[in-house]
Amino acid sequence: MQRHLPRAFGLVAGASLLFLYAPILVLGVFSFNSGRLFHRWEGGSLHWYAKALANEGFRGAAVNSLAVALGATLLATFLATGAVIGLHRAGARQQGIALALIGLPLVVPEVVMAVATLIFFSLLRGATGLDFGLGNLILAHAAFCLPFAMMPIRAALRGVEPAILTVAADLYASEGAIVRHILLPLLAPGIGSGAALAFITSFDDFAMSQLLAGPGQTTLPVFIWAQLRRPLTPEVNAMSAIMLAVSAAFICLALAMVARARFTNGPCDP
Amino acid sequence: MRTPILVLAGLSAILLSTPALAEGRLHIFNWGEYTSPELIAKFEAAHDVRVTVDEYDSNETMLARVRGGNSGYDIVVPGDYAVQVMIAQGLLEETRPDQMPNFRHVEERFIDVSWDPGRRYTAPWTHGLTGFAVNTDAYKGPADSIALLFDPPEALRGRIAMLDDMVSIIHAAERYVGVPRCTADRAELKQVRDALMKARPFWRTYSVDSINKLVSGEADVAQTWSGSAVVVRQQLPGVKFVFTREVMEGFSDNVAVLKGAPNPENARLFQNFVMDPENAALTSEFAGYANAIKGSGAFLSDALKTAPELDLPQDVAMEFVPPCPAEVMEVYSAIWTELRR
Repeated sequence: MQRHLPRAFGLVAGASLLFLYAPILVLGVFSFNSGRLFHRWEGGSLHWYAKALANEGFRGAAVNSLAVALGATLLATFLATGAVIGLHRAGARQQGIALALIGLPLVVPEVVMAVATLIFFSLLRGATGLDFGLGNLILAHAAFCLPFAMMPIRAALRGVEPAILTVAADLYASEGAIVRHILLPLLAPGIGSGAALAFITSFDDFAMSQLLAGPGQTTLPVFIWAQLRRPLTPEVNAMSAIMLAVSAAFICLALAMVARARFTNGPCDP
Repeated sequence: MRTPILVLAGLSAILLSTPALAEGRLHIFNWGEYTSPELIAKFEAAHDVRVTVDEYDSNETMLARVRGGNSGYDIVVPGDYAVQVMIAQGLLEETRPDQMPNFRHVEERFIDVSWDPGRRYTAPWTHGLTGFAVNTDAYKGPADSIALLFDPPEALRGRIAMLDDMVSIIHAAERYVGVPRCTADRAELKQVRDALMKARPFWRTYSVDSINKLVSGEADVAQTWSGSAVVVRQQLPGVKFVFTREVMEGFSDNVAVLKGAPNPENARLFQNFVMDPENAALTSEFAGYANAIKGSGAFLSDALKTAPELDLPQDVAMEFVPPCPAEVMEVYSAIWTELRR
């Protein structure tokens, strides 16, 4: 039995991976098509990559997407780390309420969040003239990235041996010192994966950005979507492939950071 | 732990380098792939204005963004019925394009339009037809009636890609069964509903990119816009945009200035700018649609001048359909929900 289970498992896993990645593979392959039609292979070429990179709208949208995702990731990860450490000592009831509030974006349909945020910023601008520019988008993204960033950090906290904190306190380590020298290093892998999750959530977001982006703030998914109205060329494949590569690069970076943290923390890890 | 600080520094550099509000700006919100970069460069040079262009995929998306006010945009390009809705809701600035210098170039039949009589709010941008295209390499039979969508020959059943567009599909059904647009008559609406439900199994997809299904070979008939057919035909000569015996659905997009626009003066300049024949030709050339500006034909390329999709034959009729009354729209929604279930 034990010998058969892994083989069946491998088969199912392989089929699942194929199911998940085959469309992306096709997209990637056809981005190198030299013809003008996105489904008809006419030979390999980097023509559409050159065209995509020369497209001012695409470049602008890419810069916007990266800026928003980085800003939202930093903000969300910072707040999520603070919330996890802070809530650590709160009572079960307070924890429950706080987590439900922070986790709201996971439950509320994204369109509803987006419309509400749109109205909020519109009223704010009308009443006070305040407009944070791209900051509007960063704040909105940070709000719904927060629960995503928080999940891995909370999981990491659950893995921390309480005795270590008790020992530190017994040895007269101050609150700040405990957080800085013990808690943060132990949570680092969680923080890293939380940041990666937040980044991807923001980078891929469509509904929120489509409603909220102001003049000159179009992000990549919104830009690519607006292209669909016209007959597609492999340029859209090239744009999507570039977007995918960036996402993948950031995930690898985060994973590498996590792996390193795990390695350095190794002996401490319970 | 130094990395976040570096990233933060980089980020603030990006944010600060996105230009502060200078004088001479214009924020345009237009349909996707509809704004000629050449046209924008020319306007920027002529008036010393920096222009941003953002894009949307439907009138409804655009309305959702600007309805709350303070969207930050100056110019939007709503379709005919959307203009009517926006004027009624007080979303547009009455900029009087009819008194602008270039207004003399506008074709007479595009002045007293139902959605903006006398052009007190909007300047014409482009117009085209919502119809369907056939891949004549795959289907050799006759194509001159909207019946091809509703009662297709055996070979085309399940090979038809529709737009994801409730109003244009139901209007198409009204033309097929021969009842007036926006009819409120229950018996007629029942006929429309039955025609749609009968056609339902023949329709493969409903999407904004229906023309791409034709390109990929997933479909042989696609409900689409004439300009999309122009672009695709240049690569697949077998694609033919069909002129039907039944009256065809026209659409017209219009340059409008939003109420409360941050740069109203530049927005007015832009409205006047697009009514110049040479500039209108730039738009047509890029988008593949006809414009309403007399004399712009002289500036068009031969490929576009001779495009059959843009040259409406004498015996083909075209209509612009105003928005239907609310009670009819309710029935439409019910029919649409049933169709898409």
